[in-house]
Amino acid sequence: MRRDVRSRHFDAMGTTCSLFARDADLAAAELWVRRTAERLTRFAPDSELSQLNGHVGEWRKVSAELESVLRASLDAYAMSGGLVNAAVLPAMTAIGYTRPLAQGAGVATLDRAGPLPPLPVVLEVRQGEARAMCGIDLGGIAKGWMADRLAEMLGADCLVNLGGDLRTIGEWPVEVAGTTLLLRDQAAATSSTRKRRWGDVHHLIDPRTGLPAQTGLSEVSVVTSTAFEAEVVAKTALLLGPALAPAYCAGNALAWWLGR
Amino acid sequence: MRSLLLKAVATALTIGATAASAVFVTAHLKNPSAPLQPTVLTVAPAVQTTSETPITSTYAS
Repeated sequence: MRRDVRSRHFDAMGTTCSLFARDADLAAAELWVRRTAERLTRFAPDSELSQLNGHVGEWRKVSAELESVLRASLDAYAMSGGLVNAAVLPAMTAIGYTRPLAQGAGVATLDRAGPLPPLPVVLEVRQGEARAMCGIDLGGIAKGWMADRLAEMLGADCLVNLGGDLRTIGEWPVEVAGTTLLLRDQAAATSSTRKRRWGDVHHLIDPRTGLPAQTGLSEVSVVTSTAFEAEVVAKTALLLGPALAPAYCAGNALAWWLGR
Repeated sequence: MRSLLLKAVATALTIGATAASAVFVTAHLKNPSAPLQPTVLTVAPAVQTTSETPITSTYAS
């Protein structure tokens, strides 16, 4: 390990998390990840997000964290031209993704499969409150948002890896698609249809159809300025497919890899 | 007589090879499972590659 770096590894959000820093309380950082993940998960019925999802159409008080991630989801929708859409929970339920995959996948009924509604139409956020008109799944948006917040909390010279969503402050060598890059205050993320899949079904929903995406790309890795941006750009590129993704990445990423 | 026979054989071979290649090319216009070109990581000037050992990596989860 370089430069007297301390590290901490743990499982959270159904994935593996790794934190690297020289002068930071990594135990406190792990606790923050666990508490924030508990707040933002759709799988726990008593989570703050589940409370919002369970009261469709009602204004609900939300914490500063949930408010911030909900606003980030609206930003992601705008940045991606609607391809990153947090109003995806009904589609996730339709394909059988009703619980953490470690507990086994549910049955894909596809009974309510169809194009997703525009997020700004079904999600309103104001200071301390939010109203959802359909189920919200924050998924990778929350992961990227958390990586950015955590890096800010850890301060100078840290590297955060939350299930493949990387954010660096300072200079760190990290592997992206088999190449080692020196990320300086930058971030990376990978979007894929190769993981979280069961049978012919996978978790990455194309909002234009409400069904698992079939675009000709199966995995995209990108480097951007923040983990939130990396999440949005990687998923958008994957959903755009091989014809449009190269030009999109050239305009929105600092490095990219497109895999079929 | 012999030169005429040679010309006929050469012409027949040429026509046969042309026809065979035309059939082959039209049958292989596009391979949908072919990898994207290029398949390597594209890196803008704002990002540097390094020979250092990576601390961690991005991956799908």
